[in-house]
Amino acid sequence: MKKIKELLTTNTQLWKGIAIVAAIFSFIICFLIIANYFQINRLDPVNTELINTLVERLSQNPNDEALRLEIRELDLLVRKAYFTNQWQIRTGGYLLLIGVILFVISYQLINSAKKISPEVGEKDENNLFLQKTARKWVSIGGVSLVSIALVFAFLTHNRLGETFVEAAINENVVTDESSADEAATEEISSGSQVAETVQTEPVGTEASEPEETAPVEKPEQVAISSIVKYPTAEMKANFPSFRGPGGNGIAFQKNIPTSWDGASGQNILWKSSIPLHGYNSPVVWGNKVFLSGANAALRQVYCFDKNTGELIWTANVDNVPGSPASAPEVTNDTGHSAPTVTTDGKSVFAIFSTGDVIALDMKGNRVWVKNLGVPQNHYGYSSSLYIYDDKLIIQYDHRSASKIIALSTQSGDEVWSTERKGKISWASPVIVQHNNRVEILLVTDPFVASYDAKTGEELWRLDCLYGEVGPSVAYADGIVFATNEYASLVAIKMGDQPEKIWEQYDYLSDVPSPVATDKYLFLATSYGVVVCHDAKTGTLLWEKEFDNGFYSSPIMVEDKIYLIDREGITHIFKVDKEFVSLGEAALGERVVSTPAFADGRIFIRADKNLYCIGK
Amino acid sequence: MKKKIATILLLAIISLQVYNIYAIQRFPKPEFESGHTQPPTVTPDPRAQALDILDTFVLVAALSVVTWLVIKKRSRKGVFWMSVFAVLYFGFFREGCICSVGSLQNITLALFNPEYSIPLTAIAFFILPIVYTLFFGRTFCAGVCPLGTLQDIFALKPMSIKTWLEKVLGIIPFIYLGLAILYAATSTDFIICRYDPFVGFFRFDATFMMFSIGGVLLLTGIFIARPYCRFLCPYGALLNLVSRFSKKHITITPTECIQCRLCEDSCPFEAIDKPVLLKEKEERPIAVRRFLMYTIIIPVLILIGGYTGSQFHENLASVNTKVRLANELLNETNYGETEQEAFEITAFKAAGQSKEELYNEVAAIIKKFYIGGWILGGFIGLVFGLTLVSLTIFKYREDYTPNKGTCLSCARCVDYCPVLPEVKTELQ
Repeated sequence: MKKIKELLTTNTQLWKGIAIVAAIFSFIICFLIIANYFQINRLDPVNTELINTLVERLSQNPNDEALRLEIRELDLLVRKAYFTNQWQIRTGGYLLLIGVILFVISYQLINSAKKISPEVGEKDENNLFLQKTARKWVSIGGVSLVSIALVFAFLTHNRLGETFVEAAINENVVTDESSADEAATEEISSGSQVAETVQTEPVGTEASEPEETAPVEKPEQVAISSIVKYPTAEMKANFPSFRGPGGNGIAFQKNIPTSWDGASGQNILWKSSIPLHGYNSPVVWGNKVFLSGANAALRQVYCFDKNTGELIWTANVDNVPGSPASAPEVTNDTGHSAPTVTTDGKSVFAIFSTGDVIALDMKGNRVWVKNLGVPQNHYGYSSSLYIYDDKLIIQYDHRSASKIIALSTQSGDEVWSTERKGKISWASPVIVQHNNRVEILLVTDPFVASYDAKTGEELWRLDCLYGEVGPSVAYADGIVFATNEYASLVAIKMGDQPEKIWEQYDYLSDVPSPVATDKYLFLATSYGVVVCHDAKTGTLLWEKEFDNGFYSSPIMVEDKIYLIDREGITHIFKVDKEFVSLGEAALGERVVSTPAFADGRIFIRADKNLYCIGK
Repeated sequence: MKKKIATILLLAIISLQVYNIYAIQRFPKPEFESGHTQPPTVTPDPRAQALDILDTFVLVAALSVVTWLVIKKRSRKGVFWMSVFAVLYFGFFREGCICSVGSLQNITLALFNPEYSIPLTAIAFFILPIVYTLFFGRTFCAGVCPLGTLQDIFALKPMSIKTWLEKVLGIIPFIYLGLAILYAATSTDFIICRYDPFVGFFRFDATFMMFSIGGVLLLTGIFIARPYCRFLCPYGALLNLVSRFSKKHITITPTECIQCRLCEDSCPFEAIDKPVLLKEKEERPIAVRRFLMYTIIIPVLILIGGYTGSQFHENLASVNTKVRLANELLNETNYGETEQEAFEITAFKAAGQSKEELYNEVAAIIKKFYIGGWILGGFIGLVFGLTLVSLTIFKYREDYTPNKGTCLSCARCVDYCPVLPEVKTELQ
């Protein structure tokens, strides 16, 4: 051991030699690695000029097998060269490491063999002078740093923060403008937050009514935003279906009154009688309000002037091929026209207890009509209609063959249809955009399911409910809320693998549908209790009992919930974790339908009349 | 001449640190007509928990051994061999991760981002060296940190640099520390890890830029010992502060300094404080006036620094990948790609986030950087202020003592001291 130690420490000349050789070796290897690196970077083996030329020639003569073979061989050669280069670099790295280690060991051994020979310095620097010089250079360093940073900052200053805020607003406006001609909508966000809508007053005759013109998407703007936007800006600017755009219980409107009185006429702009009874709700597009009504013998669609309440036209739904000679048996509390009509601004669509579906243009002319087969429903068919893109979406859950159908809005032809295994449902679809996909959410006994709005493909399904399901679902922030009386209230995290995140049993609804924000879930019941849950945990935040029960569903407008009880009293309260009443307004007539909101006004279908409320 | 070359090399390395390193897959995966499907990308399994525990145990053991070698045995040779062990174990075996230097970013991220689950090893690697430093000085730097010990092995021909340059460059680790905290706190990046000059060596996968920076740094380290530790390491900046309070710090002499001056130039890190005699003391009123002036100026420097940082926040934020993405989308520059859509933009579109959401998110990030810019700038102003104040203080010193802040406890100086512990016994 001692001998080895001596050998290591005494042969200084040997180690010096090794150190020199190792250093030269390392230097050469290092040089070669660097040269190799530049060589490997200069060549692009998958994009060589020669191969590209040959490939181009091959595309002109696709049957030239010899050429194809030649390209393959060349490609292989180039790839081999590339990987050989890589191997060389890696091997070179190991050789370099060995060289460096040898050099360091040799040098350390040489050093260790040396005896420490400390030298006592002659110069004796003055501490004050050193401090002064250091202060000077630290100050110079600081000033330089600040100067460079400031010059750089001012030269490159871009108001980035403001730029992106403006860009976000512009992005929203560009997307909105691409789909809306007359509405200029400033969107704040989707889901729970509410957009501010400024809508120009429609003027002129029907022939020139802007809302009847088909929305034209500008091609370049479509290109800018390839991301799906649902509901569209024009849907948000109107109120095209039951429970608003997409049926999620949110009205993207502003300046809606909070007080009126049916008895004194305060804030009642007009009131019009509705010819035939129906439990459906009004929808609004441009300056028109649409409803339907029916009895066992007649089925009608109505169009009212939004500004005057005048009944502009009535369309009879008759002479429908395949329609039954007599209407099916329905109960009084459902009737023959429980489904709410829908519109896309070009046509208005309606469905009745007979299974008759009709498309009318905005002047009341029939575009197409068809019968889907009489739905086997012991109370009466009640699922409302919705539109996605150019498809009319129909939840056709009945006893014999439940399905969801998409018909072409232009022709009525079936675009897709998906069979459903559930039982009868009285709920309506809710269409939402989740991530970059538009999904149709349906609820029935025993499951909540989601369908791709483009193809009808079932995306996911979760068994969680039972009974005769009436309320539709609510959606916010990736969570679907479904409920039914005697079953439960469930929150489901959407996704290909849906997950039940909470469940409550205390207050359940049998008719009104819930409405949700990313924080809260509001639920009204037919026995008069309204509750608010924490949307993420299900914790009951508040409950409030009212004198009358609710059939109408709550609608969220800005940060307010509008909810009409069966006696026609609208309860307005704040979207908050505590119950804060913002007003109550009586209509003086019983109400079971859900109100529509547009252009600063509320449209309520009462028992016999349609009301317009505004300032 | 050598000094000048070494200084230029050192400055070049420091400036190189600001460059980003790009690494992209060079080959697109080929599509086979034969129907052969590509094997899926394999994600390496996380390090086994047992190994994590072993790492922590080895860290404690290594710290204890090095501390014992430094404080009790006063053995430079022992410290050197522990350095070799640290390079092999913490460097090549553990591939340099998690290291204590980078762990301060994990700690910062955990403090600012509740969603981040910090590994216990990261906490241990951050805390343990600080605790040891608090009691025994920077023994971690001496023989445990793989980055430091690797450079130490290369410190073959160290030479001294000017005091003023040492002081100016000594501020850089604090700036780096501030930047690392800012970027970790805003969930932007772990810049210490991204610009780690030696981890590529430990893993045998250094990119060319990393190879260059690390190589030049090691070459410089032959002449200017441990350049990364002294003029860049942000964790070293922390340990520098903590070590000043250490009770049992290494001493040059085991007993009393005999003023032989033999150790005067023994420290390759310029970490020996020489005696300052009373005759060098200024007149008291002048010294007090200067001290007060620099003390009063500190808040002004903090404000100037804060203002500068706040104005510089856009440049700081541009490192953030989301900010860059939003910029590219807004200006339609497509990351400079002309032939096809940039991968980042394709990925953004596939993710389903709208531009509006991205812009709003980025606006919020930039706001964070504005606040962060004020804090970072203020911190740098404070560092400059305190450095200036420290340079106005007269500290009377009779003996040659290690500077507790900058001393790396490498124990080189002890070999130069002719005073032996036995001598003390004999004298008594």
